[in-house]
Amino acid sequence: MQRGIFSFLAASLAALLLAPAAQAEEALTLRVLTHSSFGLPKPLLAQFEKDAGVKLAISKAGDAGEMLNKLILTRANPIADVVFGIDNALAPKALAANVLDAYNGPASHAASLAPLPAQLVPVDYGYVTVNYDKAWFAKSAVPLPKSLEELAQPAYAKLLVVQNPATSSPGNAFLLATIGAMGEEKAFDWWARMRSGGLRVAKGWTEAYYTEFSRNGGKYPLVVSYATSPAAELFYAKDKPSEPPTGSLSLAGGVFRQTEGVALVKGGANRAAAEQFIEFLRSGPVQQQLQTEMWMYPAVPSAKRADVMQFAPEPSRFDSPSEQGLATQDAQWVARWTRVVLK
Amino acid sequence: MVALPARGRRLWPGLALSLLPLGFVGLLLLAPTLRLLREAWPADGLSWAALWAPWLDPYLRWRIAWSFAQAAITCLLSLLLGLPIAWVLARFSFAGRRLVLHALMLPFVVPTLVAAMGVLALLGPQGLLARWGGPDLQGTPWLLLYGNLFFNLCLVVRAGCEGLALVSATRVAAARTLGATPWRAFWRVEWPAVLPWLMPALCLVFLYCFAGFGLALVLGGPAYATAEVEIYTLVAYELQLQQAGVLALWMMVLTLLAALGYAALEKKRASPQRADAIARRLPAGVRQWLALLLALLTLGALCLAPLLAIVGRSLMASATDVAPLAAWLDLLQEGDTLLALGNTLRFTLAAVLLATCLGLCHALAARRSVWLRGLVFLPYVVSPVMLAFGFLLLYPAWTDSVFLLVGAYALLAYPFVAQALGAALDAIPPHLQDAARTLGASPWRAFWRVTWPLLRPALRRGMAFAAASAVGEFAVTLFLSRPEWATLTTLIYQHLGRPGAANLDAALQLSCVLMLLALGAFALLEGGRPREAGHA
Repeated sequence: MQRGIFSFLAASLAALLLAPAAQAEEALTLRVLTHSSFGLPKPLLAQFEKDAGVKLAISKAGDAGEMLNKLILTRANPIADVVFGIDNALAPKALAANVLDAYNGPASHAASLAPLPAQLVPVDYGYVTVNYDKAWFAKSAVPLPKSLEELAQPAYAKLLVVQNPATSSPGNAFLLATIGAMGEEKAFDWWARMRSGGLRVAKGWTEAYYTEFSRNGGKYPLVVSYATSPAAELFYAKDKPSEPPTGSLSLAGGVFRQTEGVALVKGGANRAAAEQFIEFLRSGPVQQQLQTEMWMYPAVPSAKRADVMQFAPEPSRFDSPSEQGLATQDAQWVARWTRVVLK
Repeated sequence: MVALPARGRRLWPGLALSLLPLGFVGLLLLAPTLRLLREAWPADGLSWAALWAPWLDPYLRWRIAWSFAQAAITCLLSLLLGLPIAWVLARFSFAGRRLVLHALMLPFVVPTLVAAMGVLALLGPQGLLARWGGPDLQGTPWLLLYGNLFFNLCLVVRAGCEGLALVSATRVAAARTLGATPWRAFWRVEWPAVLPWLMPALCLVFLYCFAGFGLALVLGGPAYATAEVEIYTLVAYELQLQQAGVLALWMMVLTLLAALGYAALEKKRASPQRADAIARRLPAGVRQWLALLLALLTLGALCLAPLLAIVGRSLMASATDVAPLAAWLDLLQEGDTLLALGNTLRFTLAAVLLATCLGLCHALAARRSVWLRGLVFLPYVVSPVMLAFGFLLLYPAWTDSVFLLVGAYALLAYPFVAQALGAALDAIPPHLQDAARTLGASPWRAFWRVTWPLLRPALRRGMAFAAASAVGEFAVTLFLSRPEWATLTTLIYQHLGRPGAANLDAALQLSCVLMLLALGAFALLEGGRPREAGHA
């Protein structure tokens, strides 16, 4: 009966010895920090490694907000050379903390469909907006809400699940859209009405979408998600329906355009390779592939749209507070939101 | 019984043994936490007002109080439900008993979010209960307590089962012969004997629930968030290190008090036992069969039903495919899945190996020290997010290294080994080893031939739990994750990060693979010849 344990110990020792040792090519490694939603096809990344002559060490550091805080905390001793995923909502904070270096290569001057402050090069953009479960609305015969005002009525408020802006970047983006559209006072008055109407709050996108949204076993047929989510639903559907099972509701004042960028990390190593990586993210193949990997729109105007993106129409209106407000007031807004909606 | 000089001599090896686990905990746990606290320390010193702030804010006070209350209630419930179940499992033999003991530990393995999906499939708004006309429990404290029991009941049942299996048969028989009712015999003989086994398990349950995180948010909603959630938000999203540090300090004080209180009680309670264990037998008579059935049904409803719901959902999902089997094979042959499978196996093996060494050293060293006993729970006392950010500051070059990752897995896994072994060591009568020594065995030989065989069942249980915690998600969210080191759990979360039925199905199917893998690991660790009572 001892044999079980000993064979286990022997096996684990063997596994440890056989495990590929950490490669010691320090000088040739490009450290890339991203949020956890980053994804590109492996062959594409391998091609970059070959072309640039470096090894990519991609580190995922959680949600975009968490990632930026990790970057700020370690600024004396940076953990990466280049960072992807800082968006327009976080950019002012990143600039104020002085953790990025300016890049002056071709990509920084090229046109983009969505802009970002100088030190960040736009890679992709998307819209945070309310999604709805088509089957639920068809079955209950409730008409879709047409404005944020209507959404705040008790009949609708209790149908919506949002992410906590303190723990989720889409949640924060949605809050920013309401503040940008209505102004701070009116926006928090709206949130207070949403709360008394029975609004549901989830920690992050995954919790909201997979445990609260009525399409996935929850009871809320309205969820804060992205304008591209219906296209992704169609793309990943098993029985290939002709149209997505969900739709995006672009209510005026309830849409935030999130533009994600790439930037050099101040104090990072391997500058040349890092600059190559920035250009790489703006290259044709990446701009093409990121659409169905990360479900964002390409920032480069000439990039070809994936076919499935026809099911992800871009909202015509989106709102945001001023850059000044984003830089200085975001933390206060989140704290106030917590007081108004949770406490 | 032991002469004083001998005790003095025995203290030194104990101290030497403790150096390994304490050094490990110091480097991987205390140093990063202290480093972050130093970062958070205000330049003009910490004022009393700042230190008291969490108690003055009613919102935070409620968070701390609720964290404490739900953990205490869960402890009580898991004792009330777990002990009878453990008794039945320890006394009766039946077909599939071993499978039940292994399956019990599966809740530890599945990612919180998947487990929550399983729970909601039963008790949520579109769940079975609601469809049968029952209430929807989502967003109520009941669902959170259910979730806590789902994750933690196994700790109490397994520990109780092992303790009860070692209760002296002659003492129970003597009590019965002298006219004690079975109930009285349980109360006077079995209960004092099993208590030292239950207490460390209950202490773990308390710490898990107190510092609990994911489950509370998913099942209870923000209204039932624990203080740990508050610390996480303050650190990861607001970088308010000072506020977070103060709150974390209070949580540490509270948990340390609980851990030390337990250690003191446990040391006092520890009672060596004669190893003439009660043999398991088939249930006889309607009442005993009924008890067995009831115990299994309770276990099924609390621990296995949500998992079965996950299996059911993934089977149903693949049933709509043209070729259900081919879909599973495709999933298994994907590069990502293979990579994750390999990584999961490798990390788990390495972590269990390390955790076993650390746990063994710690348990042997802690035999005579209440302090060391309390310290075994240190990895659960420190807030994980504080630790993760401390790592970034202290070891910036190592934050995404595989060594630190395995170290962190082992750090969170080794208390299982240490606490299981601690209880087993207390139960060994000292005269056995003394006799071996008198008969001329060297200390090493006495340990190898006498103590070690008696420790093995507990070691196996500890290792199985360590493996379960390493396979699970405990360390996953803590550190920077490299795509090439993705484990099954990371892969599951990656699928759940995107919309679409195929992603949901893949996440559920991977969860099934994870559970099968874990069952295999448990069978390997606790397998071999069926352990019959009284073999020692």
